[in-house]
Amino acid sequence: MAEKLRIWVAVKHGVDVNLARADRATGLVKLDSAPRRTSDFDKNAVEEAVRLRDKRPGAVVTAISVGGPAAREALRDAVAIGADEAVLVTAPNFAEWDTRAVARLLAAASRALGGFDLFVLGEGSTDHFAGLVGPRLAGELGCADIAYVRRLTVEADGVVAEKDLEKEVETVRARFPVVLTVGQEINTPRLPTFMSNLKASKKEVRVVSPADLSVAAEALAPVVVTERVAVPEVPRKQVTISGASPDELAARLKDALRAEGVLP
Amino acid sequence: MSDEVVLCYSEETGLAEELVRLARAAAPSDGSRVRAVVLPGAPADAADRLVAAGAHGIDAVTGAASPDPAATSDGLRAVVVATAPTLVLIGSTKRGREVTGRLAGALDLPAATGVTALRLDPDGIRVDREALSGNAVAVERIVRRPAVVAVMAGSGAPTATAVTSVDRRTHPVAAFEAKTERSEVRPKAGGQLEIEKADRIVTIGRGLKKKEDLAIIEALAKALSAEVGCTRPLAAESGWLSDDHWIGLTGHRVRPKLYVAIGVSGAVQHLVGMRSSKVVVAVNKDPNAPIFAQADYRITGDLYQVVPALVKAFA
Ligand SMILES: Cc1cc2nc3c(=O)[nH]c(=O)nc-3n(C[C@H](O)[C@@H](O)[C@H](O)COP(=O)(O)OP(=O)(O)OC[C@H]3O[C@@H](n4cnc5c(N)ncnc54)[C@H](O)[C@@H]3O)c2cc1C
Ligand SMILES: Cc1cc2nc3c(=O)[nH]c(=O)nc-3n(C[C@H](O)[C@H](O)[C@H](O)COP(=O)(O)OP(=O)(O)OC[C@H]3O[C@@H](n4cnc5c(N)ncnc54)[C@H](O)[C@@H]3O)c2cc1C
Repeated sequence: MAEKLRIWVAVKHGVDVNLARADRATGLVKLDSAPRRTSDFDKNAVEEAVRLRDKRPGAVVTAISVGGPAAREALRDAVAIGADEAVLVTAPNFAEWDTRAVARLLAAASRALGGFDLFVLGEGSTDHFAGLVGPRLAGELGCADIAYVRRLTVEADGVVAEKDLEKEVETVRARFPVVLTVGQEINTPRLPTFMSNLKASKKEVRVVSPADLSVAAEALAPVVVTERVAVPEVPRKQVTISGASPDELAARLKDALRAEGVLP
Repeated sequence: MSDEVVLCYSEETGLAEELVRLARAAAPSDGSRVRAVVLPGAPADAADRLVAAGAHGIDAVTGAASPDPAATSDGLRAVVVATAPTLVLIGSTKRGREVTGRLAGALDLPAATGVTALRLDPDGIRVDREALSGNAVAVERIVRRPAVVAVMAGSGAPTATAVTSVDRRTHPVAAFEAKTERSEVRPKAGGQLEIEKADRIVTIGRGLKKKEDLAIIEALAKALSAEVGCTRPLAAESGWLSDDHWIGLTGHRVRPKLYVAIGVSGAVQHLVGMRSSKVVVAVNKDPNAPIFAQADYRITGDLYQVVPALVKAFA
């Protein structure tokens, strides 16, 4: 391991799923104009990185985002939580970049900008929730990966992590360099203070292009194209059950459910 | 493209069988071959079950068994290199998604996860998947082959189609390169409930004031022959219920005949888990709670008054 622990965190500026709206006539969601915000789990990723750093003198946390100019907001959020450095990978055609392109750019950036011991990502982005970028990055770099981390301890030459699966929790050990993905359960990200926001707004962001990272444009050509995003209509009856007393309400609901044929 | 190969793999043999059936149904031509991968450590009857599900071929990888995603990916990679598939289907479990990314990254292949439907079209592979935290369905076109596609359980695979002869191959992988080492496996607390299979579910959210009050929810569930479900905070934050009760984007997806949501606000990440329910009842003291827009029957009121009355009525 390097003398000083190098921790990288990937933060995505994704679509705000609570604000994205579908066109009434077509049911299609317009993604290009949808409001965006920092992906939820990425704040947990930054929080975890910052906590580890605070236990390791000299450790540095670098936050990186791939996207357009608006992705600076995700980097500001990361610095407000406590990241030391901020890197934006961007190009005029950033909107074409798919999951593969994002992972390739993260890999190239980590190589070009000094490498990492730990690279922490969200286990899925709030909008797309593919869960691919972390494992893709590890696959491309040929290093260890541990997904779905719920508890993390850093040792001299690697990490011990609790990995959350559907029916079990595994304790897993890996040596540096290692890629980790985390979910909401790992910690509670600190709320930015007035001072930390001020610091974040002043933080200089290092802006790099794919060319700066020696990645050719062809290597980023999309291989997965989103053709449509639509909100499925599930019609609901929306019948209000009212009554003079709770017992009357209950009796009316019972009648309705019996008519539906869903009671035992 | 007459004799394309589709490879299928899941660490859950039942899901691998589904993938084989799905691949048989989606295969573009009679010449297509559906092959199933069996990795070290798989159950002894896995190959036979996959043949019964309709696999034309079995690719058995031999070597040391390891749960490490890099080792799993290496095993699959050996088979991909040997069989040159146009499509690799993987079960979209947590492990499956991790391996999908790892394999796709190592071989620089396009990938998609959480897929619920799949079509092999001349201009690409089209997949349906959830997007925007389950609020929307996205159709994605994968323009380059081969591709790695992780398919969700229950994606409507038809019944098995018999095969006349089976091509069995063995791929020895000398040194599986495990990059992580597992020292302990702990089954999750609870974990026995299979809420996906429930016909009726009574789900409780943060409207519940304290753990002891679960008794009235359990009483209602009993009266309705239902299972108890919960929102994320009750499992992940207060821990009043174990993870197997948790419904939503990061919990379980359910499709019961009757879904009764009590003290649940109806956040998008919760709705995705219950949207396919047949009949939805919501009880909430806030008339503007978003859950009401997703309900067939709406009761505005305090759960502490409504639920005991429901217990009496349904008992
Ligand atoms: C509805 C919708 C549909 C989309 N369809 C496609 C599609 O068809 N194909 C496709 O490949 N992409 C698609 N995208 C774009 C996608 O959101 C990308 O930005 C990119 O593909 C990243 O992958 P992900 O979000 O799937 O990552 P995931 O693998 O779910 O993200 C995991 C983690 O990777 C990191 N990460 C992800 N993206 C970035 C980033 N840009 N910068 C820094 N860190 C990041 C974060 O830590 C994140 O928590 C779509 C987006 C939306 C909202
Ligand atoms: C990435 C991500 C993934 C997530 N995954 C999930 C998931 O899988 N599942 C999930 O559920 N959530 C998930 N969440 C969390 C989700 O956003 C909500 O925070 C959560 O669903 C809220 O739970 P709740 O409805 O129980 O609580 P609240 O939102 O606090 O709602 C409580 C409701 O109870 C009502 N109430 C209060 N007192 C009473 C009373 N006495 N009688 C009647 N009604 C009362 C209130 O009016 C309110 O509507 C996720 C969030 C994120 C960011």
